[in-house]
Amino acid sequence: MKWNGNLFYLLTVFYLVVAGGYAIWFFISYQGFEPIGTAALTMTALMSLFLAFYLKNTAKRQGPVAEDLEDARIEDGESEIGFFAPWSWWPLFLGLFCSIAFAALAVGWWLFFIAVPLALVALIGFVFERSRGLFAH
Amino acid sequence: MSTGYAQKTSGRGYKKPKGQVIVEWLTTTDHKKIGYLYLITSFLYFMIAGVMALVIRAQLAAPGLEIVQTKEQYNQLFTMHGTIMLLMFATPLFAAFANILMPVQIGAPDVAFPRLNAIAYWFYFFGSLVAVAGFFTPQGAASFGWFAYAPLSNTTFSPGLGGDLWVFGLALSGFGTILGGVNFITTILTMRAPGMTMFRMPIFTWNTLVTSILVIMAFPPFAAALFALGADRRFGAHIFDPENGGAMLWQHLFWFFGHPEVYILALPFFGIVSEIFPVFSRKPIFGYKTLVYATIAIAALSMTVWAHHMYVTGSVLLPFFAFTTLLIAVPTGVKIFNWIGTMWKGSVTFETPMLYALGFLTTFIFGGLTGVILASPALDFHLSDSYFVVAHFHYVVFGTVVFAMFAGIFFWYPKMTGKMLNERLGKIQFWLLFFGFHITFLIQHWLGVIGMPRRYATYLPEDGFTWMNQVSTLGSVLLAVSMIPFLWNVYITARKGEKTTLNDPWGFGRSLEWATGTPFPRHNFTSIPIVRSESPAFDLNHPEYASAEARAALEKKS
Repeated sequence: MKWNGNLFYLLTVFYLVVAGGYAIWFFISYQGFEPIGTAALTMTALMSLFLAFYLKNTAKRQGPVAEDLEDARIEDGESEIGFFAPWSWWPLFLGLFCSIAFAALAVGWWLFFIAVPLALVALIGFVFERSRGLFAH
Repeated sequence: MSTGYAQKTSGRGYKKPKGQVIVEWLTTTDHKKIGYLYLITSFLYFMIAGVMALVIRAQLAAPGLEIVQTKEQYNQLFTMHGTIMLLMFATPLFAAFANILMPVQIGAPDVAFPRLNAIAYWFYFFGSLVAVAGFFTPQGAASFGWFAYAPLSNTTFSPGLGGDLWVFGLALSGFGTILGGVNFITTILTMRAPGMTMFRMPIFTWNTLVTSILVIMAFPPFAAALFALGADRRFGAHIFDPENGGAMLWQHLFWFFGHPEVYILALPFFGIVSEIFPVFSRKPIFGYKTLVYATIAIAALSMTVWAHHMYVTGSVLLPFFAFTTLLIAVPTGVKIFNWIGTMWKGSVTFETPMLYALGFLTTFIFGGLTGVILASPALDFHLSDSYFVVAHFHYVVFGTVVFAMFAGIFFWYPKMTGKMLNERLGKIQFWLLFFGFHITFLIQHWLGVIGMPRRYATYLPEDGFTWMNQVSTLGSVLLAVSMIPFLWNVYITARKGEKTTLNDPWGFGRSLEWATGTPFPRHNFTSIPIVRSESPAFDLNHPEYASAEARAALEKKS
């Protein structure tokens, strides 16, 4: 995690340098400002920064984990990795209704207003499937 | 060992009713099954877009032909050929291989968000259906080229439902890709087996991680641009109106996605061949760390080169983009050096996966070299929008995606199905595909140099393009024929292929997927070997060559 955080810090610095260099170089060549590329690169830098910050912070709170230790044995990991849904109908329906809603943007509003409630039902079903309430796991 | 267990569970006790099988596939959250769904769907789109390409080649076989009834239909064909090949075949194919292999390679029971994974697939599946549904509308599918340049893509120049469906279908399928990318990143960061440090991950997993980072950087601008285009087309917005500089805005946004997209296609397939070269050279990968850093460098640089697609607009910063583009050749060269170094003085054998990996290497080097030519503005001004560019990107994309796809399918087929594909049919297919591809596309370089523009529905006899086009069309037939041995191979293997229960049927597998049952058990492992290097399965199966540290750890365990 720590290493991954550093990777994203590196990317942040790289994209900031590139964005600045690009904007300045463009200004020297054309005496103008090129907003699109500069904005896109700056936002890429910001996203990298966001990820770097999150990963570093998580690593700090979590402490060393078995998957980052050179000499960890398999039994050093958590015995229970997590809960994996064995099957689910909701992804299929959420995908289907979202696609109808998206196609409706091309076809006409009437279809949109049919598809959106269905997509909401599917979304709620997806989110609350296998939910046992807060802190009940 | 887990072999006995795998045998027991995959034994044919009883046959499930058909309905149950269908429900299992529709509701699956198993990363491998979702991967197979991706693989099958994207392969179907590969065949569909391949047929479109054949019609295009037939139309160009001689001057003045009218194989397609109208020029508009020709425009639809090349638009949808490009769209399908890039966004419905190659990108999901990355998701296919990443889904099937990455969790196994890091020793995880599944991906981090199994149901999100299923949603990503269904978004891709339905989104693609919406995008190609344009063919069933009266005016036909989108016809503004797969990069949908403004103002051509607005309703004045490209009216019709087909274009709208293209925009919103791709937006949905793009969300699927983003969700998939997030899922892969989370899985790799949080679900590695103990001891599987970042620098012990297989190269394919590394490339999956880097590709997924590129996905979350490149796809959101594309989704935003598509929604803006949709607002222009459907709701009368003027975002890409040329009067507001919209033409350049679209090109910038599109290529800010479009160029990283090329690396989203390429990197996972570099990963596949990086898994195959060591196994058939009986040597560890040469320069593991440089390979990883080269991948990261390619990905980082690939976000900064987008406007080399826009040299001829005359309003981009030529030296900047020429510089970054030429710079990207350096880490790519490092990778090629690593692959050759892996084979150097190894005991190389030429099984089908290795043949395909070598086919990839030769083809991709050609594509990379013409890329360096096109990166220089002085040359690009002459060659832009000619068949030289068509030849260049087919060498790059076909070279990586298709060659490495077949390499990967032949390589991992026993792990996926429990049966080896037929080697002889595989080799026949390889040579047909190799010659078919090179006959089709090598000649197009010269066609471009003498001035044949891309996307024209026909040409005149006086242009002098005829014989070169005929050679190209001939090659495309050979290329199409090469699919027959493959489909026959899959069929005959399913019917008569011998089952293999060996964990490592190739004998020298290195990463964790070769240390578990064949085919994979439901949650991938019944037991995981200890990880002390980047090739834990090789250490387990050939302890005499393992490092002293790994051997000591293995002995302590048994």
